[in-house]
Amino acid sequence: MPAKYHIHMRRVPPRFSPLAKNTIIDWGEGCLRCARCVKEQCPVDAYRKRGFDRSQFVDTIDEMCRDCYRCVQGCPRELIYKAGNPQYRHLGDEYWTPEILAATWYQAETGKIPVSGAGYGGPFTGPGFDSIWTDMSEIVRPTRDGIHGREYISTSIDLGRKPMFLTFDEQGELAWSVPPLLELPLPILLAQPSLGASPRGMQEIIVQAAHHLGTLALLARDRLVPVPAEAVGLLMPSYSTGSLNLDDPLLSQVRALEILDQPGVLEQVEALKKRYPEVIVSIKVPGDEKVVTRVAELTAAGAEIIHIYASERARGLGEFQDLHLKDLIRRCHLRLVEDQLRDTVTLLVSGGIALAEHVAKAIICGADGIIADLPLLLALECRLCRQCTKGGKCPVEIDQLNVKRGAQRLVNLMGAWNNQLLEILGAMGMREVRRLRGEVGRAMFLEDLEKEIFAPLFAQREGELKREPT
Amino acid sequence: MEVVVFACQQAVPDPEALKTLWGLSEVRLRVLAEPCSSKVEAFQLLRALATPVDLVWVIGCEESLCRFSEGSHRAGNRMAYTKKYLGEIGLEPARVARSVVTPGDQSALAAIVSEIQDRFQALGPSPLRRAPDAAARRSAP
Repeated sequence: MPAKYHIHMRRVPPRFSPLAKNTIIDWGEGCLRCARCVKEQCPVDAYRKRGFDRSQFVDTIDEMCRDCYRCVQGCPRELIYKAGNPQYRHLGDEYWTPEILAATWYQAETGKIPVSGAGYGGPFTGPGFDSIWTDMSEIVRPTRDGIHGREYISTSIDLGRKPMFLTFDEQGELAWSVPPLLELPLPILLAQPSLGASPRGMQEIIVQAAHHLGTLALLARDRLVPVPAEAVGLLMPSYSTGSLNLDDPLLSQVRALEILDQPGVLEQVEALKKRYPEVIVSIKVPGDEKVVTRVAELTAAGAEIIHIYASERARGLGEFQDLHLKDLIRRCHLRLVEDQLRDTVTLLVSGGIALAEHVAKAIICGADGIIADLPLLLALECRLCRQCTKGGKCPVEIDQLNVKRGAQRLVNLMGAWNNQLLEILGAMGMREVRRLRGEVGRAMFLEDLEKEIFAPLFAQREGELKREPT
Repeated sequence: MEVVVFACQQAVPDPEALKTLWGLSEVRLRVLAEPCSSKVEAFQLLRALATPVDLVWVIGCEESLCRFSEGSHRAGNRMAYTKKYLGEIGLEPARVARSVVTPGDQSALAAIVSEIQDRFQALGPSPLRRAPDAAARRSAP
């Protein structure tokens, strides 16, 4: 029996205090000097351990505080308050919310699944990926010894062209050679984010993390750092328009590469495959208004992997700028199902994949795997201030980050994501992530529910008097 | 050279606006949004000065407009205490200061920014910042 895939996680403390959601306001003036002060009764001893973060000018009490409100309720003079932290609220943007940043930091630090206890007070639905509810019907019937037990749940995916049938010659041998296939132990590839204070350092971190995880590191060929020999097999160089040179020595060492979709791309792939038949080629296609037809054309022409990329906020490009990535994937997937070609090609998607559940939801919509980019930067404590794009100084000094430490944080994040994927698969009663692909029967889409259930329920019957608000 | 401003979120709803008003490229302005000016404790002001930064400023609301009722009043007392403490230990009390503003008053904010700049020009770099140079000079043969 092959060894189970296991991600080795190890706590990597942050170099900078993570900004807390809430902050303590401590009015010392007027203190009664009680014999037993509420501050001494703090369960995490935050008042004694508090310090001052000289790089961020913040009181470190907030990162230790667990929001139990014991001190707030216990102080007889009511001198302690808790309030929302405006510095936390200003993090990120409308898509990359402070909650996403904080959850990513937590996972990168601990490798644990973020759990919010004491009830959930937030909304149960929202735009984009939040409008998909996954099936958890089997959660009441767990396997004998949990999701990490003997009943193995596989998160492996296959990259490459899959033949729909085999033919054999008179001797019973395969009549043609089967296209190369690459099995990844988790449905996530690591790619370099478009921003960051240290692109070269980031590449080294991604290469090392990919080597630990056994997945591919998708990096731009033209700015590639020297890659250690043991990690080069998991490198997936990405070639921009016109930059592919068949004499590139890297081509004989890698197992997969990526080319940007352009006129004549199929001829380029053909020439490449003639010389390097074992290399799997991915074609990177923009998620614009032509994506569905282009994906169908490329698949019919024999493409092995198609990488559909959307915007950083999980929206399409060009005329599809209002279309969410989930709908983009769904349309491409259904078109390939219609053409009876879906199983032949591997669909990878990127752009706006921010949380672990987005991985599962993108796969439910029809992707085989996802490519993570910006969350990798967030895992390195990025505040998403975008100062690096303006030539400013990185507030968390990502350019000075140790490669080993950074790689472990990425491994932790991917470990936490993988465990969440296992939780979802376990709750669905599934044993394979490959089976989740396009499995919309195991999810509910808010748009469909509104159309099929709520619209008829709340529709006004003909001739019915409209109730006026009182 | 660096100036740190702790800004109450009611008094300064948009901390970026202060940076736009700043305009001195050679002096770094760091604006930290706080829920109330009373969040900033004396030890934070002193530690910030010891970092070292050249000037620490707190911007809060008018006392009658404080959302925490007594917050702005307490911040005032705390500032007086910090200044007194700085004087006692032989440092310049003028390196910490506090201003109050009516929330949403942009002209008042602009006036505060120019006040910060004037104070900075008058005081120059922090003596703590100069200290390593002085030590180096002393140790030179």
